[in-house]
Amino acid sequence: MTDNTKPSAFDAAAVAPPSGAETTDFGFRDVPLAEKKPMVRAVFDSVATRYDIMNDVMSLGIHRAWKKIFVTEMGAHPDLTLLDLAGGTGDISFGWLRAGGGRAILSDINASMLSVGRGRALERGLISSLNFAVMDAEAIPLPDRSVDRVTIAFGLRNCTDKDAVLREARRVLRPGGRFLCLEFSRVQVAALSPIYDAWSFHVLPRMGAAIAGDRESYQYLAESIRMFPDQETLAGMMRNAGLEHVTVRNLSGGIAAIHSGWRI
Amino acid sequence: MTETAQPPLDPRLLSILVCPVTKGPLIYDREAGELISRQAGLAFPIRDGIPIMLPDEARAIDA
Repeated sequence: MTDNTKPSAFDAAAVAPPSGAETTDFGFRDVPLAEKKPMVRAVFDSVATRYDIMNDVMSLGIHRAWKKIFVTEMGAHPDLTLLDLAGGTGDISFGWLRAGGGRAILSDINASMLSVGRGRALERGLISSLNFAVMDAEAIPLPDRSVDRVTIAFGLRNCTDKDAVLREARRVLRPGGRFLCLEFSRVQVAALSPIYDAWSFHVLPRMGAAIAGDRESYQYLAESIRMFPDQETLAGMMRNAGLEHVTVRNLSGGIAAIHSGWRI
Repeated sequence: MTETAQPPLDPRLLSILVCPVTKGPLIYDREAGELISRQAGLAFPIRDGIPIMLPDEARAIDA
């Protein structure tokens, strides 16, 4: 790496973790625990401006239908407040506001993603009902029992300590409040699996290279989807975090799933 | 845009934010564009009206 080259997440990944150090997954690789966060941030810095168009291409537009179902499940009401974690470019917050939801806090660990989100909110005339904050979903800067809905859509798999995210989500929820997660999950239809594998490991990284000029970031995104806990595992993690009445709804044969749990 | 021309933080957001480390109160230093957690000894920057509530990006201060 030369001095005028921006350090990338993938340079860091090439360094073998010191033996005995705790590691975590970064796609299919193991990296030292402390390094995942900056590496994930580098991925999203890299993809921020083209993230929306890439999502459309990668999912053939299906992510829009999934998000629509997700927003319906959120049960918007003007008296309810939303914390949108890893909200990135704003789709979930915007959907919530359009469905009649109350004030929303659009948050992300990545300021580049949030800047794109704020620009889109301005274009859509939704800015007055929104606040923006850069935050880490593992350490939420809100008091206990302060919001009615906490959502994380296509964000939890990028978090290092997923249990911490779930505990924090429950902590900031008011009793009677609901946590909802939309994430890629485990395909439940056997016939779909080989097609989906070919798509995500061969087609997607090539499209990432062609459209966003960044094959490695999209390779990471495909791998991170495969490393994410399956439906039952995530439901169990939510129960361990103290969420109750946990339910799972599969979307498109389990390519994605909506997990929901309540703070009672 | 110059550093001194910081847009003010939305009061609705200010009223709800706490320190991500201690979950204690924050003091808004409007001139410096920072949110200060005395308990944690950290000053969180506000950039372009958006608070950056990450300890990694905060400035250490004397508590």
